[in-house]
Amino acid sequence: MINQAVYSFSVWLDSLESSTLLHESFYMYNWIESTHVLFLMVSLGMLFLIDLRMLGYAFPNVPASKVAEKLSMPMFFGFAVMIITGLMLFYAIPVRSGQSLWLRIKVVLLIAAAVNALLFHWRMKRSISSWDTDAKAPIGLRLGAVLSIIFWVLIVICGRLIAYDWFDCAHGQSGLAGVLAGCIDGQAQF
Amino acid sequence: MSTASLGSYYRTIITVAVVLLATAFLFSSLRVDAWVGLKPFFEWMGTTWFGVIGTTWGAVFAVVQAFHLLAMALMGGAIIVSDGRLLGLGFSEMDEREVLDKSHTIFSRSLAVVLLTGIFMACGVAMKIYYLEVYWYKMLALSVGILFTYGIKKPLLAKSLDDISPLVRRAVALSSLVVWFSVAGAGRWIGFSG
Repeated sequence: MINQAVYSFSVWLDSLESSTLLHESFYMYNWIESTHVLFLMVSLGMLFLIDLRMLGYAFPNVPASKVAEKLSMPMFFGFAVMIITGLMLFYAIPVRSGQSLWLRIKVVLLIAAAVNALLFHWRMKRSISSWDTDAKAPIGLRLGAVLSIIFWVLIVICGRLIAYDWFDCAHGQSGLAGVLAGCIDGQAQF
Repeated sequence: MSTASLGSYYRTIITVAVVLLATAFLFSSLRVDAWVGLKPFFEWMGTTWFGVIGTTWGAVFAVVQAFHLLAMALMGGAIIVSDGRLLGLGFSEMDEREVLDKSHTIFSRSLAVVLLTGIFMACGVAMKIYYLEVYWYKMLALSVGILFTYGIKKPLLAKSLDDISPLVRRAVALSSLVVWFSVAGAGRWIGFSG
């Protein structure tokens, strides 16, 4: 049901002229992809520094609230650019991307990372006054920081694996791989 | 010649001289001779364990590539924070010495991971990159970046920060951002040149 809906939506996107133009534009597509990758430095670079501060490995003598406050703005800007460019990359190759097992795992991990970030932020706000100048955050927040790093390492790995076609529906996937990739019986090949 | 005779900027002078020599080398016939001479080395790279693993198991190559990107992200984060602090962009309430020193430590460790994973990846696609012009541009930019960071930026900022003119600090920060952005940009260019 969901797989059919994703497939129908992807096929509709694929039928749009601008999607084809974007896909076939060598420079535009590569500029978008490069921006998506290079903004890792702004988004993940800042996020990792915040996480490492909580674990006591980065700027332990700077109050944690200052590190989080100062690095959050460029981090959110970086993530905004990555979301926009990520959606554009999906728009350029919608059917293959929509049926990419790696992209699907990546989206689940992105949701998990977002929930973890929200919980982390909420817990930090509630308790910051009691440990702000300590070298390490309390254990619960350190666990959140470790989870954040693990989620993002897996997200980047999945992002890299999208380029590989091992589980593409074009290869006639069957069983669990076919279901998870969202392959539809008798679908057109893109 | 004693380095003292070059004054307090001897590291800067030596680094600039190395960059100028490298530029002269690039525009001479020696460059082609060196390139031809390096071919056996690249052929050997492809036969090493790294080369065999990189060409045989695509998944391993992709995971190493992901760690290359992750280390680059952390390295970029450290550069943005330290250079942003030097430029007075947003990190002004954080102690400058603390920010610069810790950022440099993170930068150095990330660079080590970037280089190690980069060597693995280079072995996996040795002959492809040997013939790829942009790979050599990236290596040039990377060499300039390493020379600049360890030959100019680090020694200069090791001095008392109050003794360094604001103009010099800004120039160093801007140069650092430009050099490392060029390295990252050239890396991406390799990605869509194959």
